[in-house]
Amino acid sequence: MTHIELRGVQKWFGSVQVIKDMNLTIEDGEFIVMLGQSGCGKTTTLRAIAGLETIDEGDILIDGRAVQHLKASDRDIAMVFQSFSLYPHMTVFENIAFPLRATRMNKDDLESRVREIASVLRITDLLDRRPSALSGGDMQRVAIGRALVRHPKAMLMDEPIGALDAKLREEMRAEIKRLHVKQGSTTVYVTHDQVEAMSLADRIVIMHEGVLQQVGTPEEVYAHPYNLFVAQFVGSPVMNVADARVSEEGGAVRVHLDPRDAGFEFPSRLLAKLNGHASGGLSLGIRPEGVLVSRESKAGYLPLAAHIIEPLGSHDIVDLQVGGGVIRARTPAGFVPRVGETVHVRIDPEQAHFFDTATGRSLGVKL
Amino acid sequence: MATLVMTRLDPQSRAARRGWSDLTIRNAFIIPTIVFLIVFNIFPLLYSLYYSFTDFRASTNAPANWVGLANYRELLNDPFIWANFAITAKYVIVSVAGQVIVGFGVAMLLNRSIPFKGFITTLLLLPMMLSMAVVGLFWKLLYDPSFGIINYALGLGRFEWLSNPDMALYAVAITDIWMWSPFVMLLSLAGLSAVPKHLYEAAAIDRAGPFYTFFRITLPLVAPILMIAIIFRTMEAFKTFDLAFILTSQPSAEVISIRLYKMAFQEWQTGMSSALAYIMLIMVVAITNIYVKYLNKVKER
Repeated sequence: MTHIELRGVQKWFGSVQVIKDMNLTIEDGEFIVMLGQSGCGKTTTLRAIAGLETIDEGDILIDGRAVQHLKASDRDIAMVFQSFSLYPHMTVFENIAFPLRATRMNKDDLESRVREIASVLRITDLLDRRPSALSGGDMQRVAIGRALVRHPKAMLMDEPIGALDAKLREEMRAEIKRLHVKQGSTTVYVTHDQVEAMSLADRIVIMHEGVLQQVGTPEEVYAHPYNLFVAQFVGSPVMNVADARVSEEGGAVRVHLDPRDAGFEFPSRLLAKLNGHASGGLSLGIRPEGVLVSRESKAGYLPLAAHIIEPLGSHDIVDLQVGGGVIRARTPAGFVPRVGETVHVRIDPEQAHFFDTATGRSLGVKL
Repeated sequence: MATLVMTRLDPQSRAARRGWSDLTIRNAFIIPTIVFLIVFNIFPLLYSLYYSFTDFRASTNAPANWVGLANYRELLNDPFIWANFAITAKYVIVSVAGQVIVGFGVAMLLNRSIPFKGFITTLLLLPMMLSMAVVGLFWKLLYDPSFGIINYALGLGRFEWLSNPDMALYAVAITDIWMWSPFVMLLSLAGLSAVPKHLYEAAAIDRAGPFYTFFRITLPLVAPILMIAIIFRTMEAFKTFDLAFILTSQPSAEVISIRLYKMAFQEWQTGMSSALAYIMLIMVVAITNIYVKYLNKVKER
């Protein structure tokens, strides 16, 4: 039903450019999550789509029609705000009915539409209350109800669950997912929480300083980060990144993270794929689960001392000392008994990422 | 209970060295105020309540005779007094409605980012800061049929504003609107700027037009503070004296407090005028109460 497209969108606040030449196509029924740190331009982009913010250059198309000059009320897009923005002087019913009343819908249709959406959101028994008497989660449900009640072309959500506590956030995340599956409306969702992004999105859009970094499914973004920013922003704990040097000795290729270490063994086909980056300006990225840890010494494993152990219940995060630096590994709970213990470590070549240190771009090496 | 809330006097303080206790200090602040209130407010109030039941005349030495409710009965049966009340009611409605419309309208215009906003707001507040007598005197000049600037600007020739029985009351009301709209504007501006901007954004997203947004979002949220402005202005307009007294002597503009003044200090019917003052007081309190009830209902949200 609804297809949103951004073409060469630029936006300045004074002399600061907050959106830099943004191109993005959002397919019908898709759940898009815009992910980035605060101040990266993701909320501004969302508000520009909604019509609450003007853009300086480029086109915003909804169903193929340029809408950048239309007012918010003429774009037929619903939005859920971070602060919920419920009308404090109206009951829940009146809040949800507001968009219908504003467009003069007849009373019977209105009543049934509000009741229907309230039952979907499980807030039927709250309809007579005022927003001030609601909990955060219920306020959120009402805000979503108000957005959904008029079957908008698209839903925009600006960190809708950012203000809730952790447990409620998890609950509402599942609820939003359920609603999207049920209603199937095109949704753009803004967050700085990568867990939310990974769990909700059909596709994630990662932004940094107004520039679109990568667009892809959660799996793509996680497994094939386009650059160092994406690599380190997505995934928890953060991907290990270290300057690396590659050496070759009698057919054996080794990657050194520190001038003095013996180097991690890699297949010799790595050398050909690095395209001359072997000598310098190379960064190795490896997620903690790609760091293989063994208690016994094995061929190709380096002995490293455990520096810090963070027990997380289901697993441990262990900081291992590599020369002057540290790489973090994910191990089964209690695998490394105590700090100071030496364990044997290898980097899984299939999970290793190589980046150009100067540009941050991934070299696209797949082993 | 009250003493429990009070903090103890610091034993090192000068007051403590002089042998004062915290109670002494409390009394030193409170007793003069209470004495002042009793002498200048409570005593005259009760004294005039007593006179309202007598035929006392302050101009003679004749002793006051107790007449019971006769003064009240006579006043409430007097069609001329009721005519004064009707004039007052008309004046209150025209004047307060005018102030709310002009004041709220100007507040809406000012509630956005415009250059010199603070300066413009201060200028607009000036009429409110003038003395009533001064405003009355110079509006008398402005209204003057032969050289007044109002007739000149509006091209009305020698239109009589203040000596025209049909116009005099409205002329006074226009002056009052000019003087007190800034007050309503000031309170409305405070109310308007307290409406969160994101509610307007939400309304825009919900496809509400400008009128719908105004009547369903802006007005209900400003209502409590606007109501306070209306209460104040109604009370003041009901008691209006100086403006009307200075501007015109038309019987058609004789509001109730002018009648009261004439009764008390020209006809010297002290007992009767005390009774009239009490009738006015009860009316003002009653009207104010209606507003306060409504205000509390609005604030419950």
